[in-house]
Amino acid sequence: MSTAGGGGNGMGRALRLSRSETRRERLVAILLGLAALLTVLTTVAVVIVLARETFEFFRDPLVSVWEFLTGDRWTPLFADKHFGILPLVTGTLLVTVLAVLVGVPMGLASAIYLSEYAPPARRRTLKGILELLAGIPTVVLGFFALSYVTPVLQGLIPGVKFFNALSAGLVMGVMILPTVSSLASDALQAVPLSLREAGYGLGGSKLDVILKVLLPAAFSGLAAAVILAFSRAVGETMIVSLAAGQRPILTFDPRETIATMTSFIVQAATGDQPVGSLAARSLYAVGAVLFGLTLLMNLASQALVRRFRERYE
Amino acid sequence: MRAARGRRLRGRAFHAAVAVPTVLALALLAALMLELLSDTVSWQVVEPRGSGETFSFLDGFSITSSWEKVVTLELAARGSDQAEIDALIRDPEERRKFAARNRVELMLWADGKLLRWVVTGSRDVLVQDRGLLEGWRQRDELSAGLKPGQHLYLNPWLDISFFTKSASRTPLMAGLAPALLGSLWIIGLVMLIAVPLGVGAAIYLEEYAGDNAFTRLLEVNLRNLAGVPSIVYGILGLTVFVRLLGLGPVILAAALTLSLLVVPVVVIASREGIRGVPNSLRQAAYGLGATRSQVVFRVVLPAALSSVVTGVILAVARALGETAPLLVIGAAVFVPGLPNGPLAQYTALPIQIYTWVGENEREFAHVASAGIVVLLAVLSLLYGAAFWLRRKYEKRW
Repeated sequence: MSTAGGGGNGMGRALRLSRSETRRERLVAILLGLAALLTVLTTVAVVIVLARETFEFFRDPLVSVWEFLTGDRWTPLFADKHFGILPLVTGTLLVTVLAVLVGVPMGLASAIYLSEYAPPARRRTLKGILELLAGIPTVVLGFFALSYVTPVLQGLIPGVKFFNALSAGLVMGVMILPTVSSLASDALQAVPLSLREAGYGLGGSKLDVILKVLLPAAFSGLAAAVILAFSRAVGETMIVSLAAGQRPILTFDPRETIATMTSFIVQAATGDQPVGSLAARSLYAVGAVLFGLTLLMNLASQALVRRFRERYE
Repeated sequence: MRAARGRRLRGRAFHAAVAVPTVLALALLAALMLELLSDTVSWQVVEPRGSGETFSFLDGFSITSSWEKVVTLELAARGSDQAEIDALIRDPEERRKFAARNRVELMLWADGKLLRWVVTGSRDVLVQDRGLLEGWRQRDELSAGLKPGQHLYLNPWLDISFFTKSASRTPLMAGLAPALLGSLWIIGLVMLIAVPLGVGAAIYLEEYAGDNAFTRLLEVNLRNLAGVPSIVYGILGLTVFVRLLGLGPVILAAALTLSLLVVPVVVIASREGIRGVPNSLRQAAYGLGATRSQVVFRVVLPAALSSVVTGVILAVARALGETAPLLVIGAAVFVPGLPNGPLAQYTALPIQIYTWVGENEREFAHVASAGIVVLLAVLSLLYGAAFWLRRKYEKRW
């Protein structure tokens, strides 16, 4: 925030401006404020759109909130319609957990390496490459999962389907790796030098300092990185729609074809559902659940980051 | 002594353990890229329907009208007489029809020669398709096993014609032209919409906003927007732009949706740049009698320009690769012509790739790989530019 110019709306007082100048200044301020307001309106619009259609969805006599939350059959696109979101939730959870199992340990390790071990020049290069990795569009990662990873998995593990959660989860782990790595290494770098020095002063080795001083000190920052990675994995769409399939069944077997919340939304939106039909509305109900979940995770992650910052800055 | 050695060993083991994942991820990435590149080339045995000729480079070569010369040779081989050939070549409508069904290409290693002109037709039948290395090892067998009329080519799927061909159900005829043009339109409009909004919001937050509840709301909201799954933006775009505003599945609807998606990217990068401009510059400008908007637009913004431009480049890269929202708002999977304005139906690079990946025919994997290489090349250029800009204009105040 600028301190120059006195802050607030002080223009035109310190200097004597002509009336047209004052008017122009005010117009500029209003236009800029409108641009900022639009970012809030985006969120408001998302909430209104999701809430309205979801409300309509639940008003339908065929649907009950109880069945939606506890039912284990999800068949809105078939003649015999059932609206139990559990298969989509378990599908999402299955892929996400696989992704986190791969991406978080690798991401944390690479963060520790980058911030504590790598010499500065190599750190810059590696960070650049990780940024590039983060920039690979997910449709490309989905292609990799489907055409390169799945055949390998089918050769290694018996019973892996052509579309399976395992392949999607592994590749999604690679997708979240840069997120975890960059946020976690920021958190590690933010730990004050005095803490490290105190650790070494007590006779700790580098390993001791990392494990017993840095990681605990940066814990909330690292947790924030992990939660954000979780949220990104839950919201990821293309990898799962290409490589995991579109069959909502209640299973925890990673070799199976599954559906996630996001892949259902794609399926429902690309099919020919008449506007206003129950099947079309079910897309919004799933979207609302997805939005709510990721919002909660993002808020939790931000709260942790804030706590972390307050402690050290 | 022993304890000290154990400590050193443990330290070294840990160092190796944290270095391995980074190296592993990079090696994996390199392997995938190699695989991808080799997938863009294949050896093919093709059986043309109608004609069965390829023509030597010199036969068809001419600086101005290779197309006419090769087509003349091809039609003569199909049994047309000179009058018919001349009529076809002179009539633009007939030319267009011929070009829609056949493609004249200069191919590598066709029929054992380094370069041959090949007329590929949409009705050609693919007999065999081999990977780059496998085909090279078996090339003698393959050419010995050719039946009369069949040809063996080394087909580089990613050649110049790939950029000019339209979408097609036949892998050999499929190209990127409509997707490239669609993506260009979208990116252009996204820049027109998202840059003023994003930079404006950033300026407001850094230079105008006071420390109050509204500002805090803006801050929290921006951070959350950056974390909203892209498919949710798709739902928003589908409901508001496509249906409520009645735009339908057109380029403008896609551009508006993606603009909302990338505004946070522009805001975050621009704010960082604006925050980096030292107050002494602002004070100097005020001291010279500048008004607030003059300070912002003539002093602060130019000083922060490299960060703003970096943000814009990253936003463009993001918009270029986003697939899910476009799928939800209904990007056409098959567009017959080229898009010609903001209200035209369209397809975009990632959508085209998604469609090709989903095709059943094995050959479409080559087409998809070629498309992915193009997309990744463009993105690498953009990221490279952003990286370079940040390095070059990183001002130390």
